[in-house]
Amino acid sequence: MNKRLLGVIDATTYEENLKDLTLHRSLAAIPFAGRYRLIDFVLSNMVNSGIQSVAIFPKYEYRSLMDHLGSGKNWDLNRKRDGLFFFPSPRLDKPVFGIDSFEHFAANIDFLNRSTQEYCLISSANTIFNMDFYPLLDWHLDEGCDITEVRHDGKSLDIYLVKTTLLLELIHTRTETGYLNMKDVVTDINSPYRLCYYPYKGYALTVDSVSNYYSASMELLKPEIWDQLFLRDRPILTKVKDEPPTRYTKSAVVHNSMIANGASIEGTVENSIIARGVKIAKGAIVRNSIIMQKTQIGSNCVLDHVILDKDVKVESGVKLVGTNENPQILRKGSLAKGECVNS
Amino acid sequence: MDRKDGGVTVLPPYTASTEMKWYTGTASAIFQNLNYLYQYDPDYVLILSGDHIYKMNYELMLDHHIKKAADVSISVIQVPWEEANRFGILNTDKELRVTEFDEKPKNPKSNLASMGIYIFNWKVLEEYLQKDNLNANSSHDFGKDILPLMLEDQKNLIAYPFKGYWKDVGTVQSLWEANMDLLEDSNELNLFDQNWRIYSVNPNQPPQFISKEAILTDSLVNEGCTVYGSVSRTVVFQGVTIESDAVVKESVIMPDAVIGKGCYIEKAIVSSGIIVPDGSIIRPKNDGEILLVSEETLEEMATN
Repeated sequence: MNKRLLGVIDATTYEENLKDLTLHRSLAAIPFAGRYRLIDFVLSNMVNSGIQSVAIFPKYEYRSLMDHLGSGKNWDLNRKRDGLFFFPSPRLDKPVFGIDSFEHFAANIDFLNRSTQEYCLISSANTIFNMDFYPLLDWHLDEGCDITEVRHDGKSLDIYLVKTTLLLELIHTRTETGYLNMKDVVTDINSPYRLCYYPYKGYALTVDSVSNYYSASMELLKPEIWDQLFLRDRPILTKVKDEPPTRYTKSAVVHNSMIANGASIEGTVENSIIARGVKIAKGAIVRNSIIMQKTQIGSNCVLDHVILDKDVKVESGVKLVGTNENPQILRKGSLAKGECVNS
Repeated sequence: MDRKDGGVTVLPPYTASTEMKWYTGTASAIFQNLNYLYQYDPDYVLILSGDHIYKMNYELMLDHHIKKAADVSISVIQVPWEEANRFGILNTDKELRVTEFDEKPKNPKSNLASMGIYIFNWKVLEEYLQKDNLNANSSHDFGKDILPLMLEDQKNLIAYPFKGYWKDVGTVQSLWEANMDLLEDSNELNLFDQNWRIYSVNPNQPPQFISKEAILTDSLVNEGCTVYGSVSRTVVFQGVTIESDAVVKESVIMPDAVIGKGCYIEKAIVSSGIIVPDGSIIRPKNDGEILLVSEETLEEMATN
């Protein structure tokens, strides 16, 4: 099937609730699990399912997304034919046509016209899952569907499978039909298309708020969840960094945590997700927290239920405590000293 | 390094029409690939070994080479006097000009050991490789044959003094030591220097998972590992699993190895992909010994 599926990732999703983490990046580029960005999951799934041509449609703050994806080399998408394509929205104003905007697709219609893949898989970029799309296409064909929506626990994952010619038709006729995006098509009970719902049974979580971002991160520490996401034969791929191994000193105490490469751990870490290049000094205690890339935590700090974005500096002795429902977030590059936080 | 011009080329031994040409010495490896060098026709040739651990800016060595108008520069490091008898020692004059090669000297006159890193003027290198090739008694080695011959011919051989961490890891013992050195706070080879990263293949595996019960101190652990047991003073490569109740001390665990439940491993190097069965006890019988754990040693253990 490799030649038959075209990947389309809509990376325009914006959630006000996540604004502290999306000041300088799109939702699709939010760091997750110590070394990934949210988009890595759907992109890796596509590549692991044999898809060789993927188009990404971003809208806001996509610098970090472009930096992350680069030429697509880490996903084996730096190809002479097909590969990774980037189609930023031509307009940044907010007459929002929702995700999978036909307007946005239409602005890049040449790409769809030129693609030789018979079917098109359209997906949002903010779902954490490890799904094989082979069975989905087989099922779609067996059932004779026009459009298949992938659902998890009865809820849409904003993933659709359509024939590429049908997608083109939907784009071309958008003014007559009034359909602005895929959701409009599948929610119209009078639509002329045969719509199917494919129930996805594996683990899937769509990140749309701080609280579910936090709980999804904490769930990673459960081996039964971890085992469903990180499979040897279907790896989640990401931008690699040539980091050294993580160094644990004599004073390190680490329990129930996920720790990425290049970190230096001298303090205590429990129930936490620690990203690449993080430094945790002697005597510091980090619990139930998410610490992003290259953040530095000074000695004797106490951090509980916090989310520290990239490049945060926490000076020695600082105490930061959030709650399960309301984890305290320090924005990218902020400095925490004493009682005050400059973010 | 995948460049349009240059880049990395691996040149394995090849079969000539007449015979299979193995590389018989360090110089023979270069001699047999002279055509590769002709293709680039460089001014200078830097010759390195693949089994040394150090960080060095070769540009500084080349500057030194040019300044001293050397025919060949040999990088040297000061070793402790009491260990000088284990190395190839260079005796030099005040200007760092090499006056004598002293292989593993009983009574060393200097403590400058050759690091096996050379910069040659290309034309001189070519001339001496050709000469050496005609010598039927030569072992075709830079240190043993080419450089002594050049010294005899009164060529300008210059020592380039290097300061910093350097280790030849040609043996199990030295490989283990080099790994343990990384755990020292005072270790000069700083792997964490963002401006001088050590590049490698990135296996792109998930972060490490350290379980509730795990005890992990004084160690280096790479991506994709899961640790349930107790690990101290150990270097753990990517994709390794250390099962519950296993104890691993002062060891090196290579990629994708699995240390079974309740194992006890001390002062060992466990090879890649090895599955150490539950309850195995692996530690050297003699002081100072380092065990290499491979499929063969595991089989031996099973039959004993």
